Amino acid sequence: MRKRRCGGVPLVMAAFLLAATGCKQSTPEKSQASAAAVPEKILIGATLPLTGSEARIGGFYKEGYDLAFEEANKPGGVLVGGKRIPVALQLLDDTSTQATAVSLADRLINVDKVSFLLGTYSTALVQAQAGVPEQNRVPYVNGGGAATEIFRQGYKYNFGLLAPVELLADAIMRWIDVQQKAGKLPKPAVIAVLWENTSHGKDFRKGVSQFAAAHPGDYKIAVDESFELNAKDFSALLNAVKAAKADMVLADAHLPDYITMQRQYVTAGMCNKVLSYGARGSEKQAADGLGQKNVNYVLSAVWWNYQLGSKGLNKHFVEAFRAKYNRQPEWYQALGYETARVLFVAIEQANSVDREAVRAKLAAMDIESILPGGRLTFPADKGQQAHYPFVVQQNMPDGSSPIVYPADVANSPGVAPNPDCKG
Amino acid sequence: MSALRRLRPDWLSPSAAAAFLVTIGLLHALPHVFQLSPYDHNQITLAFIFLAAALAWNWIGGFAGQVSFGHAAMFGVGGFVAARIAQAQLVPFWLTWLVGGVAAGAYGLAWGHPTLRLRGPYFSIATIGVGEATRLVATYWQGFTGGASGLALPIDAGLKHALYWYALYFLALVAIGSYAIRNSRVGLGLMSIKSDVEAAADVGVPVVFSQDLVLFLSSAVVGVAGGIYASYFSFIEPTDMFGFDRSISFVLMAVIGGVGTVFGPALGAVVFVLLRLYLIATYPHLYLGLYGALLVLVVLFEPLGISGLIFRVARRLRAQRSAT
Amino acid sequence: MARGLELLLSAILLAGLYATMAYGLGLIFGVLRIVNLNHGGTIMAGAYLGWWFHEHAKIDPYLSLPMVAAFSFGVGVIIYRGLVRHLPRGAAGGAQSLLLLFGVWLVLRNAAYFWFTGNEQVIRTEYSTTAVVILGSALSVNRLIVFAIAALLLVGLHLLLTRTYFGKAVRAVAQNADSCTLAGVHVEGIYTLTFGIGSALAGIAGLLLGTLFTFNPSFGGAELLKSFVIVVLGGLGSVPGTAIAALILAMVEVFAILVLPAYLTGAVGFVLLVLVLIFRPGGLFGHRVLG
Repeated sequence: MRKRRCGGVPLVMAAFLLAATGCKQSTPEKSQASAAAVPEKILIGATLPLTGSEARIGGFYKEGYDLAFEEANKPGGVLVGGKRIPVALQLLDDTSTQATAVSLADRLINVDKVSFLLGTYSTALVQAQAGVPEQNRVPYVNGGGAATEIFRQGYKYNFGLLAPVELLADAIMRWIDVQQKAGKLPKPAVIAVLWENTSHGKDFRKGVSQFAAAHPGDYKIAVDESFELNAKDFSALLNAVKAAKADMVLADAHLPDYITMQRQYVTAGMCNKVLSYGARGSEKQAADGLGQKNVNYVLSAVWWNYQLGSKGLNKHFVEAFRAKYNRQPEWYQALGYETARVLFVAIEQANSVDREAVRAKLAAMDIESILPGGRLTFPADKGQQAHYPFVVQQNMPDGSSPIVYPADVANSPGVAPNPDCKG
Repeated sequence: MSALRRLRPDWLSPSAAAAFLVTIGLLHALPHVFQLSPYDHNQITLAFIFLAAALAWNWIGGFAGQVSFGHAAMFGVGGFVAARIAQAQLVPFWLTWLVGGVAAGAYGLAWGHPTLRLRGPYFSIATIGVGEATRLVATYWQGFTGGASGLALPIDAGLKHALYWYALYFLALVAIGSYAIRNSRVGLGLMSIKSDVEAAADVGVPVVFSQDLVLFLSSAVVGVAGGIYASYFSFIEPTDMFGFDRSISFVLMAVIGGVGTVFGPALGAVVFVLLRLYLIATYPHLYLGLYGALLVLVVLFEPLGISGLIFRVARRLRAQRSAT
Repeated sequence: MARGLELLLSAILLAGLYATMAYGLGLIFGVLRIVNLNHGGTIMAGAYLGWWFHEHAKIDPYLSLPMVAAFSFGVGVIIYRGLVRHLPRGAAGGAQSLLLLFGVWLVLRNAAYFWFTGNEQVIRTEYSTTAVVILGSALSVNRLIVFAIAALLLVGLHLLLTRTYFGKAVRAVAQNADSCTLAGVHVEGIYTLTFGIGSALAGIAGLLLGTLFTFNPSFGGAELLKSFVIVVLGGLGSVPGTAIAALILAMVEVFAILVLPAYLTGAVGFVLLVLVLIFRPGGLFGHRVLG
């Protein structure tokens, strides 16, 4: 006996549900402001990971964005066509997932009708998201994606403020090289590279191995292992490092893994001549979580450091941040701030909110900046990804973390080998 | 006329076929008729991809009662195989999806054949193991997935817009498959396996073959969905494709929509893709809690999910009609 | 040789951690046949609670253990009485309970984001990096304490389940709930208490994990997955089995570094899980579960 199936009914309902939710969101077409028309306010969209695996850093970038917007709106907004137009940030949580980041970018552009887009954080999300503003011809200024792959796709609307992570590793190696040439480190120096298995970690490792390969005989990589994000137990890994009798441990990790690994490292009684955690090291949270003496002499290389803030733009940013948030800014907030700020500058330079005009100004951008090196450009031959030197710092027992490299901004030569290590 | 009736398979009812064709026709014309904005157009495309994946998950999870928490493994295999072939730029994109699907199906069969003997929560836990192991190996295997950096596909302008119709017809095929499997001998066999596998075997149901077949098909379809997903985003990376969150999303879609029903998971996918995004955009600080509360309410008050609600309403209407 | 000894000691301590994580999941799974997807959420809650006591009341985390356990027990009882109880028993309830408890986990996560933000939290005490040298290896004090607590829990749970009337009732219900009703055992009460105890164990695990690692609202997912591996390896309804399974898993993961790249040692556990399920589905110490 064959039963009649009304299976078609749910599918029809699905169709209408789709249509209903789909159409609900459409707003009437608003024509893109031409160079002549000047809007009431400039709506700028962005997504950030406010929940999910990158929530911590997403929150920091938000602080940077918020500060920049607040500053821009203090005199009334950005100067366009002789008038001050307020800027507004439409920020959504992309939950650290690529599909959401892409869908929300689509929504911001096509439903909320933002004029421009600021980037999200973490390379994977930026790489996925970048296609949307490119397709819609919306300038996309991001300070959260460092991998060079993002900038090799020939996108014209994508502008990146984060220098590639290979240069981060390169900067650390250069300082180490200086120490080695001064006889403070053995030659060849045995390196253990421990990298988190993310795009960031991979690029870090690439930077280290490229440098070592370019200086044959000076460095030997004895341990080259990756680990999972939020791995809990590093005992086996650290055991391998000990067995290899490494002189230097160069790791690349997110903050939780840095704290976890360093805790296990210290507890196991390990001490190497040079220790680095890539972009991590000088965070106050780490010093609080581990105790100052357990982070002494740890090297880190960052995209920005508040010690650059003795004068000019940097001083202004550091003071403004401290006034608003009551603590010292780190590179995340600086990048967020500068990303938004450069967009405002481009709008003012173009003297319009026309996307093409602003895009052209971004491509030709060459301004004073808080970033190391003091200037910000988006070189076309690097896919419009800013390249600038990294700042290498070293934690000192007094709680400070002076810059040790490059020489022109260094306020301490740094210490190698680690004096706390016996023998 | 009678010749046609002989050709028509036993399980196909004319009214269902008609309703189906009308629905597909409507969906095909939707973008033109309603002048969909690019955002809505893209969201519906994404919804189609997940509708198809949810329906396919349901074949093994709902029809056979073997709840899989590891379907992301096949989604990822299909996606990355398709992406790798697409990078070589040798074959048309739809062929990359097919190859991805076959690869995913084969992979599903490989781990599925020995584990399908397990019942209930044991099979589910085995799938967790498969899913996680696959994710870790895939993230490590740079040659295949590009490692943590993922793979970028060559940009094909206009493809994303056209994907709407490719995904729609893919969904149509999967929907037909859902209907066919459920109403055919295989589906009947699965139902009996689901209630009592030993009795089913005694009666002569080919237990191993049925389950293997359905897992293969389910895996293959989810693999094709992974391939289309890769084409849609032009960039995929292992954590997103193989992650436990991805696996859970298939389970959620099917259960919200009505696990075990023919088209229920499609509704669940609609909720998952569209409603969730709406919540994220509108209630950014509360969307997790709201979504969680929604799940709890659905489970407590209507275990068959949205399908259950619809059936209930339909029953009440029919009862009212027959009462008057 | 010294290296092998060091790895062995690390593995033993790790096993203590793993066992603590898995007890709660195993108990609920064994007795109620429910996969508690909120296990990760309760672990996270335990960690945050311990952190809160330490931050604001300056209570040493190990001393706040009874409070965290009691609170988690209460939460578990509420979840059971309020939500889980209404689900149908048996196969039909399977997928439902998964979804329900997953929903609860999402709500807990949202609450944590709301109250504590997504930032990483750390519980740091004076002895966080103190080590004790045993057999030539420096072993973390925290890890030793966690191991000791795991051992105590093992003994305590085992005694509870074998020597007390309650324990006998629990085991009986796990074997055949319907007969128990006939025999006059208050099955629903057993279920409620078991769920509560399982949640308390998860809360304790969360607190202990919190003393060792940093955490944020997303904490608990990886622990949940690992707990599955351990529970299955150990076999259903066997507390000593869980402990031994935790030891085996820890050993395999730690020693795997001698033959595998470090990153893949995490996959070993899951592959082991699948293999055990294929060849010995009752776990290494449990009973047959086919058909």
